[in-house]
Amino acid sequence: MSIEKRMLARELKLAAARPGDIFKPMWFLMLVISMVPLALSPDSVLLADIGSAMIWVATLLALLLNTEHLFQSDFSDGVLEQWLLLFLDRPLAWLVGLKLIVHWLFHVVPLICITPIAGLMLSVPTDVLIALLMTLVVATPALTCFSGLGAALTLGSSRSGILGVLVMMPLFVPVVILAAGVLIRATDGSEILPLMALLGAFSLVAATLVPIAVSAAIRLNIGGSN
Amino acid sequence: MSWRWFHQWGSPRWFYERAGRWQLVCGWLALILLVVGSLWGLGFAPVDYQQGNSYRIIYLHVPVAFLAQAMYAAMAVCAVVLFVWKMKLADVAMQAIAVTGLAFTVLSLVSGAVWGKPTWGTYWVWDARLTSMLILGFLYLGLIGLRAAIQDPDQAGKACGILVLVGVVNLPIIKYSVEWWNTLHQPASLKLTEKPTMPASMWMPLLVNILGYYIAAAYLVLGSMRAIVIGRERRASWVKELVGRA
Amino acid sequence: MLEFQFESLMAFLAMAPHGAYVWPVYILGLLILGGLTWVNLRQHRQAIRLVKRQLEREETHES
Repeated sequence: MSIEKRMLARELKLAAARPGDIFKPMWFLMLVISMVPLALSPDSVLLADIGSAMIWVATLLALLLNTEHLFQSDFSDGVLEQWLLLFLDRPLAWLVGLKLIVHWLFHVVPLICITPIAGLMLSVPTDVLIALLMTLVVATPALTCFSGLGAALTLGSSRSGILGVLVMMPLFVPVVILAAGVLIRATDGSEILPLMALLGAFSLVAATLVPIAVSAAIRLNIGGSN
Repeated sequence: MSWRWFHQWGSPRWFYERAGRWQLVCGWLALILLVVGSLWGLGFAPVDYQQGNSYRIIYLHVPVAFLAQAMYAAMAVCAVVLFVWKMKLADVAMQAIAVTGLAFTVLSLVSGAVWGKPTWGTYWVWDARLTSMLILGFLYLGLIGLRAAIQDPDQAGKACGILVLVGVVNLPIIKYSVEWWNTLHQPASLKLTEKPTMPASMWMPLLVNILGYYIAAAYLVLGSMRAIVIGRERRASWVKELVGRA
Repeated sequence: MLEFQFESLMAFLAMAPHGAYVWPVYILGLLILGGLTWVNLRQHRQAIRLVKRQLEREETHES
């Protein structure tokens, strides 16, 4: 069995053993969304206006919540070290990329799947909701990569807390701005394809380059610990 | 060609001794330039017919904002030197620049906000320049936090190097996206720094101050680097010798 | 070209009508530059004191 298949099987087993890891960020997302009308007003016109932006920010926070410790368990039980020692025929960046893809599939896609419910609750119009879903699908790979880098950089420090999140969040700015641009255009009813293409390009470049930086950060932490 | 000039930088002792002299020169030069430039700008440059005297903040705001950005680029150069030549001094420089750069970023944000009050009528507007400067401040803060969280200085230095390199690739994208975002919502009616034509009597003191702040930054970074070098090399024999002699 | 723009020193200090904005900015600038210089000097002194203490400890150990 190839390494890629073995990794997928392992992640499946882990996900089945700890369903809470998938469930908790979704729970968090719904809680944040329920706070919005409570803090603002139950007026559906007002909510529809800011709803899509609120859902975007809430999804971003939920994503950060579950990516924060992306490599922690693999680091402490020695799986990362095994990657370095056993799979010499594969570059570490490739393995890291795989891990990020699998993480995105198991932990981020479920989040995206419940955003339509959140959208209905904040009375976001259907066409904006569709645009919102598309931006999330296209943008979250980049966000996952960046927050993965934050997680890898703070691996070796025992008292990092949410430092990885704090360090990486400024880099989310272009993604958030582009996604907001798409949402504004969707609300106006104008063309969103060019901006979606830009967002996709950013995600694609991030997905190819960031795993290299992540692998350097992991190597650094494993090299430093022995 | 001899590479001695370059390899010298690998020796902390050589650097420590030279940097003391450079620091002295930079410190006095910066002091003179800044006193001359600031007094010139505050007292002798003509009043702006649109903004009145409030425009005199330019003589502090613009040089400091320039430096805040230039220092991030300088850190990226240090990160490359650290990874390519494994030069420890580059890491010391990164550490020194991060703190100084954050201080300059804060100063440029505060001076921009104070300038905004008489110009825009409010301390903070989500103007493209102010916003991207704010993001830059968060990047600096992240670097300082990351270094503080990792105990081993070598490891912390390399982690910071990775972060700086990722940040410097992103910084232009952030800047352009923020500018685009700003036009998307509302174009700023008044721009702070872009004057179509500035008479020489206005830009000459600005030039003096820009030079002065650059040299002051060099003075501060050198001073910080010397302190860090002594701290990190405290077990080296040359440091003991130096302290023992004094 | 170099002509003092204000009628008196008091007018310069008042810098009407924007003295309340201009002067605090320059004072803050001075404080930050001075503060950084002070922090660097203190850090340098502390590092040297640390080495000194270490040297003294080594000497008492030898004798």
